[in-house]
Amino acid sequence: MSNEEELARVVFSQGSENALKEGQKEQTYKVSIKKLEAWFGTKQALKDVSLDVKENTITAIIGPSGCGKTTLIRCLNRMHEMTPSSRSRGQVIIDGIDIYDRNIDPVIIKRRIGMVFQKPNPFPTMSIYDNVAAGLKLNGVKDRQLIDEIVKESLQGAGIWEEVKNELDKPGMGLSGGQQQRLCIARALAMQPEVLLMDEPTSALDPMASTKIEELVHDLKQELTIIIVTHNMQQAARVSDYTAFMYLGALVEYGPTKKIFENPEKELTERYISGKFG
Amino acid sequence: MTRLLDLGIDRIRNIIMDMARLSEQSVFTSIDSYDKGTNVKKQIFEWSEKLRVLQDETADLAIELIARYQPVATDLRFIRSCMEIAYGFSRFGRYAYDIVEVLETIGHINDCDKTAVLGMASTVREMILLSVEALQLRDKNASAKLYEMDDTVDALYRKYLREVITPQNDQDKKDMNPRCYISALLILRYLERISDHACYISDSIHYIMTGRSSPRR
Repeated sequence: MSNEEELARVVFSQGSENALKEGQKEQTYKVSIKKLEAWFGTKQALKDVSLDVKENTITAIIGPSGCGKTTLIRCLNRMHEMTPSSRSRGQVIIDGIDIYDRNIDPVIIKRRIGMVFQKPNPFPTMSIYDNVAAGLKLNGVKDRQLIDEIVKESLQGAGIWEEVKNELDKPGMGLSGGQQQRLCIARALAMQPEVLLMDEPTSALDPMASTKIEELVHDLKQELTIIIVTHNMQQAARVSDYTAFMYLGALVEYGPTKKIFENPEKELTERYISGKFG
Repeated sequence: MTRLLDLGIDRIRNIIMDMARLSEQSVFTSIDSYDKGTNVKKQIFEWSEKLRVLQDETADLAIELIARYQPVATDLRFIRSCMEIAYGFSRFGRYAYDIVEVLETIGHINDCDKTAVLGMASTVREMILLSVEALQLRDKNASAKLYEMDDTVDALYRKYLREVITPQNDQDKKDMNPRCYISALLILRYLERISDHACYISDSIHYIMTGRSSPRR
């Protein structure tokens, strides 16, 4: 059984029969968010957000600071609940399974749904190799040959293999910012996720490094469903198939990127993307 | 605070309005010269050249604005449409020049029956004014009226063509002066093309305002 199959088996075994039955109705979309609401203490960060994400697409989430973009994607892999005093309500259905179903282990969810953060965050004391292999080892994969293969595939998938193949034992922190971010993507890919969440993955990078990440994101959608939060509207326009515009915790408009950037339905969207506020 | 993009959009809008006035003046002057037999070729040539230069200026500025500011939504549609509208006005100038060139090439036509050309010219004048007004007012509904008038223009052109091809009797044939019907046919054709471009300009305005392209006829 491949590592991917092994992980899938573990995840699906966590779901209740009801969740699976429910899932059969939801197979059209890779991710379905239904009436999602989230709070930090008494402050509501997400208000009744519903949207469906197709498989093997890139969805960009845009909106001014504090509009709930990051909170939304943190709800998609149950990271939001790790913040003290936070809570959420609603459904996030991935492959037909509600990840908030009480029978689902959030740790398993985080394996299926990779995340890349704004600032590259390689494990500081680990080598390049170990950064990529860490997740596998933590999940009990011991076969050295299998780990070697996955590390190589992941680094290749993240477009950094050629640059680091001869220095895998060197510290990950020794790489440039752009390389570190691709290393973090490789680390996420090693867990063979089906959905990759990216929270402003290029905001700390120079234009060349950003371009490489954008090209990589474009290539990765062949295998993954990607949801990317970005402040850079041109980046959203360049890389995404669909764009969601959020404002004050609510989803204002969601649709094909071409439509959103050429002819948005909502005046608020038009004003935001045209730089007339925010 | 004014967006930097707005400064560029204002510039492009001013160029387009200058083109609107100049192209209108070019077509009207060329029609008057047909009617009155005046020689305005040099003047129309200068205006037509100026329109071509302004069209290039519009395209250069549009590309610069896209490259610098990556405009989206209404801004992007406006800039894209300005390139098309500028092309339309530039064609007005070119057809105006073609009209006066016909007069010079064919020679004396004072004794020709000018009813067909002047009739169509009257409709086309109105169409030019309507398209420029639609541009000023951003009137997305001007298309319907303009296409209706374009149908009239097309019908007039086809009618005249049929009359020339199939004269009713021997007397008609005898009366047909090649200088008259060749000049009339050519000018009617140019007017018919101006009419099409007036419609395309209104299509562009509709696209700016709604984001929906009209199917080109």
